[in-house]
Amino acid sequence: MDDLARLSITEASKKLASGEISSLDLVRACKKNIDARNGDLNAYLEVFDDLEEQAKEADARRARGESHPLLGIPLAIKDNILIQGRRVSAASKMLENYTASYDATVIKKLKEAGAVFMGRTNLDEFAMGGSTENSAFGPTRNPHDEARVAGGSSGGSASAVAAGMALGALGTDTGGSIREPASFCGIVGLKPTYGAVSRHGLIAMGSSLDQAGPMVRTLEDAQLLFDTIRGRDLFDSTSIDLTPSTSDLTPKKIGVPRHLLQKGGDEDVLRSFNASLDALKARGAEIVDIELPSAPLALAVYYIIMPAESSTNLARFDGVRYGLSLSGDSLVDDYAKTRAAGFGPEVRRRIMLGTYVLSAGYYDAYYGKATAARAKLREEYNDVLARVDVIATPTVPSPAFKIGEKSDPLSMYLADIFTVTANLTGHPALSVPIAPVARDEKDLPVGIQFTAAHGGESMLFAVGKMVQ
Amino acid sequence: MISKADIEKLAELSRLKLDESEIAGLEKDFSAILEYVGQVSAVTVDGSREAAPQLHNVMRDDVAVQNAPGNARESLLEAFPRREGDYDVVRQIIEK
Repeated sequence: MDDLARLSITEASKKLASGEISSLDLVRACKKNIDARNGDLNAYLEVFDDLEEQAKEADARRARGESHPLLGIPLAIKDNILIQGRRVSAASKMLENYTASYDATVIKKLKEAGAVFMGRTNLDEFAMGGSTENSAFGPTRNPHDEARVAGGSSGGSASAVAAGMALGALGTDTGGSIREPASFCGIVGLKPTYGAVSRHGLIAMGSSLDQAGPMVRTLEDAQLLFDTIRGRDLFDSTSIDLTPSTSDLTPKKIGVPRHLLQKGGDEDVLRSFNASLDALKARGAEIVDIELPSAPLALAVYYIIMPAESSTNLARFDGVRYGLSLSGDSLVDDYAKTRAAGFGPEVRRRIMLGTYVLSAGYYDAYYGKATAARAKLREEYNDVLARVDVIATPTVPSPAFKIGEKSDPLSMYLADIFTVTANLTGHPALSVPIAPVARDEKDLPVGIQFTAAHGGESMLFAVGKMVQ
Repeated sequence: MISKADIEKLAELSRLKLDESEIAGLEKDFSAILEYVGQVSAVTVDGSREAAPQLHNVMRDDVAVQNAPGNARESLLEAFPRREGDYDVVRQIIEK
């Protein structure tokens, strides 16, 4: 392969181990692609200026006998994950000049492994959105068609991996923010089981929904990155230890909720989805129909719980201790001015919505009902996942849409219809590229999503490998 | 479904200063969004399902842990918008 930046992490790791290439070679290959395309794609908000030093340090660690498979591998980091001493903006004016005072646990683990951090990738402001158009610093474009969105909120990470500007990336996923951009950009994205990966040092959006996870090119890479970042953490009391992932499982039964696929989805996406189910069948899997009676409510439930948690989490941005700080006529006016100037329109909308559903008169009607429906949904998923190994749906009902195409917020929210459930139920879910669809004479990537039982990441990697 | 006065009240509760055009836009957005999420009113709440699962206290040993290497305290102080020495300058709350 000519372009080292297009290697999978696993392939690059072998070449590093054999001494065929150095980390410096890999970093320079990625940097070349960044110089060529980041100006157009806007995948990175900042490319770090110490790349060569980082790479040389990794090469020196290898020379001293270290051998972690991620040692010297260039990774892109979504800009809502803290790296000590570096800026972290959440793509918001609120944190434009903020410097992280500590490492997120996932970053600490990647530093121990010896990964090289290429830069901070763009996202929808505070991870709120499905297209990266809500970034305060301009949208990220899709490398497959620059007129289209890269998806979101981890659009910068997806675009960077798809365009050879990093070998892999970290994203975060609150309602599909890893899987949807992975689907739109033709890469693999994993939203781990809730609690599998520490949230310490992630800029919080919906604390009962958020998970960090890998955005990569192969299932082996996803497994490698996941195994490196996961585990119980003193600094996140919701984190858990799962049994180590294995690679010798065989998925036998795949459940498909046909009742959810009947209306509204793109015909070509559905055709591609059905073709990959046929391929799985040919490889020995049994495809069965399943019913998830509460699933049609999932998106409504999500758009109550997520803004409720977001508005609570974002209450901390008051201009007193860090971030943007503006002065008004009074203390309350200081807050209101700072927050109106610091937060973009979508963030303001969700804070307002969260405030509404949590307010005294409406709490029971919205938040109370949503919490009950969420519990019901989790039960239904657990019941089905006791009978099948994985549940399959398209990751998103359509391929990447055009920048500016979805102007009203509700139509944007509807793109999350298949992804939000895994966040509500805490199940792990994976998006894997399948046959693309043609639009405007361009091939646009499509993803298939698999959901497994809690702690069932190994089963996801196994079924993903059957597809890829 | 939701009035201009409701939006203004919410903005006040949310500590957001909004201009007139945004208030008008939110009035429209909120009606559509609330109609959509209002589907949850069909959900019947039975007692057995009310409790969220796996809610239990997670404790750790009561010992000091050094999380960030280097001078984490100083970097937190540096983030203050208005710093005087090791103090964060804030507005007087009780006015004369």
